[in-house]
Parts: sequence; structure tokens; C-alpha cells
Amino acid sequence: MKNSFDEKILEEANDWLNVNQKVVLATVIQTWGSSPRQVGSRMIVNETGDFSGSVSGGCVESAVVRECIGLIKDNKPCKKIEFKVSNESAWEVGLACGGEIAVYLEQIN
Amino acid sequence: MKHSQLKEIIKKKASKIEFAIITNLENGLSEIYEPGKSLSKEFEIHKEQIDNFFKLKKNGVIENTEIFIETYIRPIKVIIVGAVHIAQYLVDFAKSLNFEISIIDPRGYFASEQRFPDMKIINKWPDEAFKEIKTNENSALIALTHDPKIDDPALQHALNKKFYYIGALGSKKTHENRCQRLKDAGFNSDQINSIHGPIGIKLGGRSAPEIALSIIAQLVSETYKK
Repeated sequence: MKNSFDEKILEEANDWLNVNQKVVLATVIQTWGSSPRQVGSRMIVNETGDFSGSVSGGCVESAVVRECIGLIKDNKPCKKIEFKVSNESAWEVGLACGGEIAVYLEQIN
Repeated sequence: MKHSQLKEIIKKKASKIEFAIITNLENGLSEIYEPGKSLSKEFEIHKEQIDNFFKLKKNGVIENTEIFIETYIRPIKVIIVGAVHIAQYLVDFAKSLNFEISIIDPRGYFASEQRFPDMKIINKWPDEAFKEIKTNENSALIALTHDPKIDDPALQHALNKKFYYIGALGSKKTHENRCQRLKDAGFNSDQINSIHGPIGIKLGGRSAPEIALSIIAQLVSETYKK
């Protein structure tokens, strides 16, 4: 048996919802190659861009926050996004570690 | 996901039930699944694969589908014998880990609620205390009193129940004496050698929080070896 951690992100999401914040839950659903966080890792984002938890080692969190705010603005229920290896010469967001991840975003309402 | 479903998940986590959350990544529909219980039509066709993920305690997307499964497993029971200073830090460190801690200490002045707020403390001798806690090979024991009267019966219980982690505080000399007593009590060398003594990984620290950190590090490491 594994899984000795419990990051309590869902509990925190509940706290945010209880004070009437809009919350998007981001979950790592697939990884390829070397990726910093395992499948099931979570992060929550509210409408003002506050966030808690993580889906990578800080590499793609800013993009995830942007996407989550977009989801709230467009009032969409869910969305799947993928991140690939970053191109160092460009200003794009990516995973410097060389891995790829897929993240699922869903609004809780 | 609906807020009501999130609340249900949190409730299930708190009641230490094993379950899974199944999500259709295309339409956002999700459902809580417990083994043995039925699934809605949406997910019923994937039941075999869902059960398979559940058995392996795996998270992921079912191949060639848009179905994501996240499994929740019961926290590991960790029994600490001795409501001592180190135990206070162990409780702190374990807060963010999926361990369910119980503390046993027959000495009332140690096991006070003030020293361990919101903590399950059993103010009894180990033989009596273990009647109240269901343990098995998924349990762990951290013996901290280095008093044979208190630690030994707990160690014997843990060995008999094949705990996956057993650690005992004390110097090399204390541990040698402890091993001899267990041998005299009829335990074989494989059983005795499975005890981590002196407890903890080698960090070099000597203060209570440092020793607690070295113990928790060893416990996590052994948990992933299972």
C-alpha cells in the first residue's frame, strides 16, 4: 500500500466555497516522461487568482491559474489542458524537466 | 463537480472509507464509487477497469477512454507508545501525511489532553489499549518510552500482528537488552531484526523535533517499500 500523503486540498476547496468564492479544481490526470507531480496531484484556484496546492514544481502553475480564471469567466464546467517541454528561447510556459502533463480543470458549484 | 459531492468526498475521507472518484473528462460528470456498490449507466460499462484500478490503488485515465479514476485508500494506523516530548512533534509532522495516529501511555500525567489537543490518547497499559485498536500488517508501531514495562508488551503485540513497521527508541545498549528479552520471550531472530532500533534514519540531530523527523522519515520510507 502506498500513498502516505494527504494534502487536504479538497478540504481547503470546501472552505473557500463556504465563504462564497468561486473555485476551480485542477487535477493532474496523465503524465509522460519525467514530471514533477504524480497523477492525482491537485491545485485549486479562485476567481481572483489565489491558488493553493500544485500540479507541477512551479513550472506551469501560472498558466493553470490563467486557464482557471478563464473557465470561471466563460462559465464552462470543465476543460482538459496539456503542457509539454518548454522551449527555452520562447516566453511560453512549459516543463523545464522535459516531461509532459495533462491537467483537468473543473468548476465546483 | 457539485459542491455537495465535494462535501460527500470530504466526509468519506474523514470516515476512513476506501473509495474512488470517477470522472468523465468530456462532459465533467463525476461519481463516487465504493467497491461492491453499483455505478450509474454512464460508468457501468467501464466497471471492470474501474475495479482493476481500485485493486491496484492506482490513479489514472482508463486506456482509450476519457474516464479518470482517483482512488482513496484508508490511512495507515500508527501507534505511538509513550506520550513523550518526541511524540508531540511526531503528531505535528504526521498532520500532512496520511497516517492515523493513536497514542498509548498508561502514565496519566504524560498523556494529558493539554499536551496533545484533538488526539486519540489511550491512557492504559498496552495489553489493555490494543483491545481498543484494530491492528494488522498495515499498522506501524513507534515505541518511545524505553521503559521495558511499557514498550515490551507493545513490541510483542506488533511482532505477533506482523506490523509492517516497528521502531523502538533507545541506545544501542538499550536495544541489545531489548532484543535479548524478546528472544527470551520466544521471538526468533528474523522477527527481532525487523525492529528498527535505535529508531530513525541517521540525521545526526539530537533534539526532540529532529528525532521525530528522523522517525517519520524512516516510517515514510518503509511505507513505500511495502
